[in-house]
Amino acid sequence: MNEVCFKNIDKENPSSLATYEATGGYSVWRKILHGELSPEAILGELKTSGLRGRGGAGFPTGLKWSFMPRNQDGQKYVVCNSDEGEPGTCKDRDILRFNPHSVIEGMAIAGYVMGATVGYNYIRGEFMEPYYRFEEALKEAYDAGLLGCDIGDSEVNFDLHTHLGAGAYICGEETALLESLEGKKGQPRFKPPFPANVGLYGMPTTINNTESFASVPDILARGGQWFADLGVPNSGGCKLFSVTGHVTKPANFEIPMGTPFSELLEMAGGLREGRTLKAVIPGGSSTPVLPAEDAMKMTMDYDSIEQVGSMLGAGSVIVMDDTTCMVAALTRLAHFYYDESCGQCTPCREGTGWMYRVLKRIMDGQGKMQDLDLLTSVQDKIMGNTICALGDAAAMPVESFIRHFRDEFEYYIKHGKSMVTKVNSDG
Amino acid sequence: MVDIEIEIDGSVVHGHSGESIISIADREGIDIPRFCYHKKLSVAANCRMCLVDVEGNPKPQPACSTPASAGMRVHTNNEKAKASQKAVMEFLLINHPLDCPICDQGGECELQDVAMEYGSDVSKFNEGKRIVADKGIGALIQTDMTRCIHCTRCVRFGAEVAGIVEMGATGRGEELKIEPFLSEGIQSELSGNMIDVCPVGALTSKPFRYEVRSWQMNSVESVARHDLVGSNIFTQTHKGKVKRVVARDNESVNETWISDRDRFSYEGLTNENRALTPKIKVKGEWQEVSWEAALEAATSGIKKNSAEAFGALASKNATLEELYLLQKLTRGLGSENLDTRLDVANPSSTSALETTISLAELEAIDHALIVNSYLRLEQPMINHRIRKATLNGAKVSTVNSLTFDFNYRVANSVLSAPQNTLATLSGVLKALLEANSLALPDYLKDTKVDQAQIDIASTLSAAENAVVVLGEQVNSNPCADQVAKLVTQIAKASNSKTLNASATGNTLAAEKVSFKPNGGLNAAQMFTANLNTFVLLDVYPTYDCVDSTAAIEDLSRDDAFVVAINSFEDESVLGFADVILPLASFYETSGTHINIENVAQSYGASVKAAGDSKPGWKVLKVLADLLELPGFDYTDSPQVADDALSLSPNVATSEVDIIAMEVPNIATVWQYTPYASDVLTRHAQSLQQTQIGQISEAVVSAATAKILELSQGDCYKGVPVNINETVAEGCVFVHTNQARQR
Repeated sequence: MNEVCFKNIDKENPSSLATYEATGGYSVWRKILHGELSPEAILGELKTSGLRGRGGAGFPTGLKWSFMPRNQDGQKYVVCNSDEGEPGTCKDRDILRFNPHSVIEGMAIAGYVMGATVGYNYIRGEFMEPYYRFEEALKEAYDAGLLGCDIGDSEVNFDLHTHLGAGAYICGEETALLESLEGKKGQPRFKPPFPANVGLYGMPTTINNTESFASVPDILARGGQWFADLGVPNSGGCKLFSVTGHVTKPANFEIPMGTPFSELLEMAGGLREGRTLKAVIPGGSSTPVLPAEDAMKMTMDYDSIEQVGSMLGAGSVIVMDDTTCMVAALTRLAHFYYDESCGQCTPCREGTGWMYRVLKRIMDGQGKMQDLDLLTSVQDKIMGNTICALGDAAAMPVESFIRHFRDEFEYYIKHGKSMVTKVNSDG
Repeated sequence: MVDIEIEIDGSVVHGHSGESIISIADREGIDIPRFCYHKKLSVAANCRMCLVDVEGNPKPQPACSTPASAGMRVHTNNEKAKASQKAVMEFLLINHPLDCPICDQGGECELQDVAMEYGSDVSKFNEGKRIVADKGIGALIQTDMTRCIHCTRCVRFGAEVAGIVEMGATGRGEELKIEPFLSEGIQSELSGNMIDVCPVGALTSKPFRYEVRSWQMNSVESVARHDLVGSNIFTQTHKGKVKRVVARDNESVNETWISDRDRFSYEGLTNENRALTPKIKVKGEWQEVSWEAALEAATSGIKKNSAEAFGALASKNATLEELYLLQKLTRGLGSENLDTRLDVANPSSTSALETTISLAELEAIDHALIVNSYLRLEQPMINHRIRKATLNGAKVSTVNSLTFDFNYRVANSVLSAPQNTLATLSGVLKALLEANSLALPDYLKDTKVDQAQIDIASTLSAAENAVVVLGEQVNSNPCADQVAKLVTQIAKASNSKTLNASATGNTLAAEKVSFKPNGGLNAAQMFTANLNTFVLLDVYPTYDCVDSTAAIEDLSRDDAFVVAINSFEDESVLGFADVILPLASFYETSGTHINIENVAQSYGASVKAAGDSKPGWKVLKVLADLLELPGFDYTDSPQVADDALSLSPNVATSEVDIIAMEVPNIATVWQYTPYASDVLTRHAQSLQQTQIGQISEAVVSAATAKILELSQGDCYKGVPVNINETVAEGCVFVHTNQARQR
């Protein structure tokens, strides 16, 4: 546990440059500055490591970096997506708070590999403390001569800037993030062209999640194979899981991929006394919900979670016990997506509001039995038809909640009240 | 560009690598529904209506933003594509008011049309619909934003074509609203195109509101004759009245856009000031008479006097046929006193400048030098082509007496009062010649060159495809011919093309038929020569003549017999005229317009002439017959046009010398707003209510104002004085919609 991004979390002053360097921090970057590490070698190690994007989509990081037209003339950019807004996730916040230098080093390495001399870290608007911690670390790195122009006469250039968002969930979508970074309204761009060809200010750009960047220095310091071996096939390394909901000790846990869910639940202190597990959302609010028996079967890696019918996503595990009214839970989620849709494209703009209104009506005791088929049909029409993944994210919970807990919805419609009688003291 | 083959719905079609699927499908006549896509605007891919199934892709792909690649197999109407298209249609309709019966877009609504095929009979949506409060956006565009489907065509049109970022998408999610950022309305000379691009009834024509249903109208092909472009239009008519004007695609002329002037000027046709019946003045009193009596009065009045004392003045907006017949009549009588250049300070010094560039070529320029022009308002469609070039990096320099609000960045701007324009252009020319080590003509020997002039010269030298544009304001310069000569020399020295925009409307038709004196009197001279007979063709001296007071005084002489063949009557015309022959206005007569590319575009009448008015070519033909002039055996207007077009105008190549000018210390530049530029537009109410239409200010610098003893709020020639430093020293720039005063 806590081998990579969180390795310094228990040390005194974990975010400082001294602590980071004491555990081998910036050793890879210095090797690069001394000309001892080639981009090809780095890409090779990354591919060996099996590191997959930690933001939710799980795209292999090494492959993503290799898409950049490294030798093309003109400015290129690396961007770190620290706009961590997915309900249930809070891992990037803690990386920025406790290990900001790993993000800086990871981004610098990425810049070197892809020929990008400028990086931006886009931090979620609400993250004031992480923002200041990161800025502090950035200043330390500059003062130590680790960033800038012609760093230590190495002819390597890398400048890194921090950007604080304004609190829109959609800006976590990578192309909306780029729009926002350019000073425009945060709305996703259609793809193709992909950011690797036309990104920030129209130039080739690679965007990775905070955790992905933070994992890179250790992978290169200790070898891709070492990282891969931490996990299971197709899910290399370890990963941060944010466990929230009805557990006694909600927290972030960095554990090897493939760890059984039951163990993770135990780490989080298990359920409260007298409660039983009802459902789990394993990867953040956009991923399908799993009933308890399916959740208990899964191990925390991409393939296993997919097998039981959901996704690892950003590793945000939302635990729900038997006091949870699934109708209320889904209504809350639907409201979130209704509120956060950017409104640009038709299915999401119109569909999220429609789904929320139908659910609200059911909650108000005005539901009709055919509303369940209607909800399923609306989510199905959003799915796959939108510019970005927010539409899918809004659709998937609706489909899975109704599929797994249809009886609870039917009960609510028939009786105008929830099937769940056990009162949750959290309200 | 590589030619590729792709398969759409089983048939093999050709396209270019990287071309969008929808553009290939459109060319091949394969129908893909769409709302946000517009061939002239950037791709937004936000409506999702054009989702199609591309083999190998798990998700349906938008045909507008998906580039075709060789071997791609596309299905536009298989089950997967249809399901997505129907899904999007359902979403678009849930919050759409479906108030088609009271919506002006009904019958020509893209949403309505597409819903016929992709919509469902019954909505599953049982919640309350969204309602959006409207912000008014001016006198031309009616907003009903509850109907908006957020395709952002209007937003993109504003930002990309009109060059104004006034419409935008504010808010997010369901709260997303298309609205102006400011509540001052849309201020653009091209704003009406937003109505055309709007696929639904959110933006409709305000003057047309609730007039008539779209399917009850006839669409007649026509040509707008307000400017040098001759934009192609459809006049849409109902019960003999023009109800609306919309753009007609013609890629080489106006692409798919028209200016607001072309779109809304039709309102003037039904103005109460139209001349509707023939009239003669008997002992100072007007009498409505028959055409026969009026023509008889005109004929006998003309016959009374000698040919030397006969003068003909015509509007620049008259048709080729009218201009041809009036010059033939005048010359048939033996007179050479004829002119259209009433607004030119010195008609004996007109700006003879050849246009050597086509509209399409304007898009490919890399530099434009604009001299004496607010091109944006004077010639909106020409300016639009230059703006397109600037989007590709072209630079623009200006030599003007006022700083104008162009819709692109101006790299070098030199302020120069008319009396200094020769010196400024001489400086540019000298800098150009010196930079290229060319010999200096004598007149440049003493010319001083300043840095601003060098900047313009070096930008011109560096450009490969430059154009020099000369605009209307040169007409306020008594030495317009010298300005034109310097412009020609500058173009020659920098290997640039030239564009003469100094006279607008159908001026090139007047050139074609030599509607100017060949040895006779010009417009200015005619009013000081004690002529006994005047024939006016749609001329209104209060607006049209440089010295309107003198012109009206001369026309009002007791011994001056004036026949006004006019489409409108105003007080001054009623005052000085002796016979009024009511003239069919725009769209009421067949005619021909010759545009800046020398393309003659003929059109038929869209509606019957108002009241008893008659098409000008018929009036002039009959008048000539009554005057017993030979050669007027025409039975229709194409015969007239054929004769007119077969003329080769005598191009007078008189040598112009650059000499010291005799100019006042303080000059006046008189520029009409685009909506006061001709008689029809002046009577179009909605245009007059726009901000552009209401411009009326005499801009003068503080120093010049002091010399003229003017202060803010005073009137200069009847126009309110505005003192600021955007204007060249030594001149008053009058930008107005008001009649000319001394």
